Amino acid sequence: MVDENEKLLPIANVGRIMKQILPPSAKISKQAKETMQECSSEFISFVTGEASDKCHKENRKTVNGDDICWALSSLGFDNYAEGMGRYLHKYREFERERANQNKANSGFATGEERDEQIAHSPTAFELRVLEKGGSSSLTKPS
Amino acid sequence: MRQAGTYSGISGRNNGPHSLPLARIKRIMKGSSDEVKMISGEAPIVFSKACELFIEEITKRSWAMTVQGKRRTLHKEDVASAVVATDVFDFLVNIVDSDHHPSSFVNSEKSTDIVILPET
Repeated sequence: MVDENEKLLPIANVGRIMKQILPPSAKISKQAKETMQECSSEFISFVTGEASDKCHKENRKTVNGDDICWALSSLGFDNYAEGMGRYLHKYREFERERANQNKANSGFATGEERDEQIAHSPTAFELRVLEKGGSSSLTKPS
Repeated sequence: MRQAGTYSGISGRNNGPHSLPLARIKRIMKGSSDEVKMISGEAPIVFSKACELFIEEITKRSWAMTVQGKRRTLHKEDVASAVVATDVFDFLVNIVDSDHHPSSFVNSEKSTDIVILPET
């Protein structure tokens, strides 16, 4: 039973998002929330599969935010993809600023995980942040 | 609405307010196929927003069905109706099918199974 829940988003979170968009007097059945949990997981799997295929074809190992945006668009979720592009941009800016702050504080962002493609040297990391606009890929081997 | 600081990011840090747990999203992503090996830190963050939009959209459409039925409680059947009525949600038809068992959806592939019945 625990295993099943691990493949679903928490019902409390899902329920809250649903509630937010409905009129205050609206009620939501528990089954409807559970169905929405399953639909959400299927959505994640569906989009991830598409993004992963693209990475595979392009011989890339890491699925990144741009791949997800692309997959959203490719699967017909154009309206999400647009908003995601901006969200991702803001997130990268946020991360870059924080990386710069950490750098300023400690000389090097020791707490940061580094992208597998970056050479293990502070200079390379800084260059990457400046070039790519701060897309620090945090990857964990599976 | 959003809970600031409640969910730690994949690296254990607070990546800002997200309404869905990033570690769980990452786990679901990994479970989608064996092909998925590495996931960048930003991918679950994109999904936390995309899922929010997704849930909002289906909920709105489902609620339209509820209202049509002159009810005030959103039921599973309303979700099913909304899915069936929207092309982009075709991939969900198996999920909302009332005979569907939750355990099999995890391994479902992108293409839906098409059962061809023999002509009688």
